[in-house]
Amino acid sequence: MTRMKVNDVLGSLGLGILAILVVVAIFAPQIAPYDPHHTYKRMERPSSEHLLGTNDIGNDILSEVIYGTRVSLFIAFMVSITAITIGTSLGLIAGYSGGVAEFMIMRIVDIFLTIPRLVLIIVIAAFMPRSIWNLIAVFIIFGWVMTARIVRSEVLTLRNQYYVESARMLGGSNLYILWRHILPNVIPLVVVQFIMEAGHVIVAEAGLSFLGLGDPVARSWGTTFHYAFECPTLYTSDVWMWWMLPPGLCIVATVLGFTFVGYALEERLNPKLKTVVGMEI
Amino acid sequence: MNLINKLAYYLVIILIILSINFFLPRAMPGDQLAYLIGENPDMPTRMTDEEREVLLAHYGLDKPLSEQYLDYLVGISRGDLGWSIYRSAPVLEVILVRLKWTMLLTGTSTVIYLLLGIFLGAESAWARGNKKDTWSLISILTVSSLPVFFLGILLKIFFGAELDIFPLDGAKTTCASYANPLEGVLDILHHLVLPAATLVIAHIGGTYLLMRNSMLSVLGADYILSARAKGLSERYILNRHAIKNALLPIVTMAALMVGFMITGTIFVEKVFTYPGIGLLLYDSVMCRDYPLLQGLFLIIAISVVIANFIADMTYIWLDPRVREE
Amino acid sequence: MRISDLKTNFPTPDGIVRAVDTIDLSIRDTETFGLIGETGCGKTVLGLTIMRLLHPAATMEGEIIYKGKNLLEASEAEMRTIRGREIAIILQNPTTSLNPVMRVGEQIAEAIRLHQGLNKKDAAAKAVEMLDAVRIPSPSQRANEYPHEFSGGMKQRVMIAMGLACNPSFIIADEPTKGLDVTIKAQIVELMKEMTERKAMLLITHDLSVARELCDRIALMYAGELVEYAPLKGIFESPLHPYTRGFLGSLPERGLVPIPGMSPSLIDFPDGCRFHPRCEHATEVCRREHPELVEFNAGHFVRCHHARS
Repeated sequence: MTRMKVNDVLGSLGLGILAILVVVAIFAPQIAPYDPHHTYKRMERPSSEHLLGTNDIGNDILSEVIYGTRVSLFIAFMVSITAITIGTSLGLIAGYSGGVAEFMIMRIVDIFLTIPRLVLIIVIAAFMPRSIWNLIAVFIIFGWVMTARIVRSEVLTLRNQYYVESARMLGGSNLYILWRHILPNVIPLVVVQFIMEAGHVIVAEAGLSFLGLGDPVARSWGTTFHYAFECPTLYTSDVWMWWMLPPGLCIVATVLGFTFVGYALEERLNPKLKTVVGMEI
Repeated sequence: MNLINKLAYYLVIILIILSINFFLPRAMPGDQLAYLIGENPDMPTRMTDEEREVLLAHYGLDKPLSEQYLDYLVGISRGDLGWSIYRSAPVLEVILVRLKWTMLLTGTSTVIYLLLGIFLGAESAWARGNKKDTWSLISILTVSSLPVFFLGILLKIFFGAELDIFPLDGAKTTCASYANPLEGVLDILHHLVLPAATLVIAHIGGTYLLMRNSMLSVLGADYILSARAKGLSERYILNRHAIKNALLPIVTMAALMVGFMITGTIFVEKVFTYPGIGLLLYDSVMCRDYPLLQGLFLIIAISVVIANFIADMTYIWLDPRVREE
Repeated sequence: MRISDLKTNFPTPDGIVRAVDTIDLSIRDTETFGLIGETGCGKTVLGLTIMRLLHPAATMEGEIIYKGKNLLEASEAEMRTIRGREIAIILQNPTTSLNPVMRVGEQIAEAIRLHQGLNKKDAAAKAVEMLDAVRIPSPSQRANEYPHEFSGGMKQRVMIAMGLACNPSFIIADEPTKGLDVTIKAQIVELMKEMTERKAMLLITHDLSVARELCDRIALMYAGELVEYAPLKGIFESPLHPYTRGFLGSLPERGLVPIPGMSPSLIDFPDGCRFHPRCEHATEVCRREHPELVEFNAGHFVRCHHARS
């Protein structure tokens, strides 16, 4: 197998996983057998009625996990799209304008990269009421940093290229040059960042929810996992197999999907730079 | 950047961390006093205005913000991180009791995952480009996508509950009396295996990949050709010429990894009820012990800054080109 | 050293690169032999082939006989005893060829320890001697410095000291004056002349003025093969191949006239004479038939259908 083929296989596999998850998220009400908030008999073992049994308050676990796809992907998408937009804008400003703006932005980036971000996120989340909107807000605050740094360094190299120089010489306005000449070249990098960030958020959100900082109503996979972990008979019965394993495997599959797609894209764009999604937790 | 600049930079970072710590609760919508006494917002403590005044004065919350900030900095410099109402003890004391377990856990895991990752990465680059290489890449990517808490629970269920070869919880057997000190050490090691293994597995991927790529680019460098032209053996070239150069990016990443490691430790300690500061952080989140939570953030953030500084120093020590400046 | 019928090929995704194609030449014990050609003509590959330092995927055919032994058949272990001790190569680009995180003295001393069995202290002393021999001022202090603390010319001197440290009898010098300014270049040429006086040397360069200073005989290489080789005088006074004449014309004192066109890729050669697309004298036979290397005068070989004209 050559490198290229491995990439294509991984990339398509990742895309396939993500496509299935998106379909499940969108059509959750049609796919899920029950309303995830409706209560039935508690702690049922898997049966033809409840394929993954029921939890400690009697919710159908399969339905909870299917709706959890919605919550987890929604958070990941909202955070990534906002954080990447902010990061790209700040990176463009820092790289293109230079001067004080660049200095300020890059110092903030340095500081954000030095402070352990998940610990600070946990501390902040602990002060706030539990809701997915608060989670999204906290993740956005810390999500733009890497993108800003990467976009800036790309802009720095682009800025000195001849076509940008000549566009400037011909009197193109700064906004025009940024929009027409620099942004299109930065977009591929930004797409990779978007995918990487989404993978990070999936893991980070699951982690926070596992610690009990998730939204107790809109239950993500991490929240389901959290309640399963709190179950007192977890180690003395098989309950983990239908209560803990499904949300756990969903998290892994999603992260793998993002990792494979991100890796394949990155390998094609910049074979030298490699990171692993989900390394943070 | 020279040494003085670096030091100044890190001092500024520490000051910023201290400030975040100070302003964070004050920027939050809730009541400052409620945070300090660990009040549950759903069940507000009933108190008279007089009692409230007394408490505010006790915490210095009646003073202007600038004065509070100054008091806070002076307190920190004296090692006063506040008072944990839940534990009726100074925050610093509570943390110090727990710190040794975390240091044992993270220290062991860091040494193992770094050494193992470097070794495997270097070997893999040395035997570059074959089927085995591709599979190891895919398995590393897969293992790296397991969230630490999921990995920990899987290990715990399998090796702890099903096979019953390692203890499920804690750092040592509770209320055990040991016949000799060696038995105590073995007991602690026995408890350490699963948490440490979780951290190692979760973190080895990054090091392995980075070392592999870094080694691959080093092996293509002219000075390696130059070394081979001298008639040196491959093993000698790997050890004396390649590794030191290939390590440079690892050192840069190691600082970043300390942050990840500490985050991972929170989850692992929670999963294995390991009595370190990670579990303490979790507990303080659960029972809204905000002074303790903030004290923990401070200690963790400052340790990470110190780790960054050590990594910078190591880099300077390894690379003579940076040492110059 | 006698090289006969040497072919070196690299498999690449775009096809097989025939970097060295059927080369025959012999180099006498104390002579300096210049191998000249444009960048990408395969001359560096020839040097690395002799040292057997090519990527494992490269294939080599033919013979390189040195002191009665065919180097192409020597085992890797045997080659390690030859490299640095019998045959040394001074690689191009001293800036990237010196290990940035190792002290310069140690980079010289490690070969001395290996080949001459000296202990750490004696080898270090010998390394300082070598630095002194290549005229690096205050050598004992400089030996403890790192490559980035040396200027380009000084790094080149270190490379020479490194190559000569174990007193090899055959030296391959690859572009030893590349990137140096005129005065430094003259000093390095002077140094090389002195240091290699009683040794065989294969000088690989694209700089004719350096070759003229150092070489006894010169060969011109084009697209993987030799197109002309002769004693120094023959090349400069009566060049036979149009490529040689073109090359001479690009010398500063002859007006810096470049050869038109580009050298061909080493994957896909033109039919017939490989130089014909760039040759002003090319005729039908040049396009059709690949010329052989023939002895035109005593010791003066050329590969051209029109060598007489």
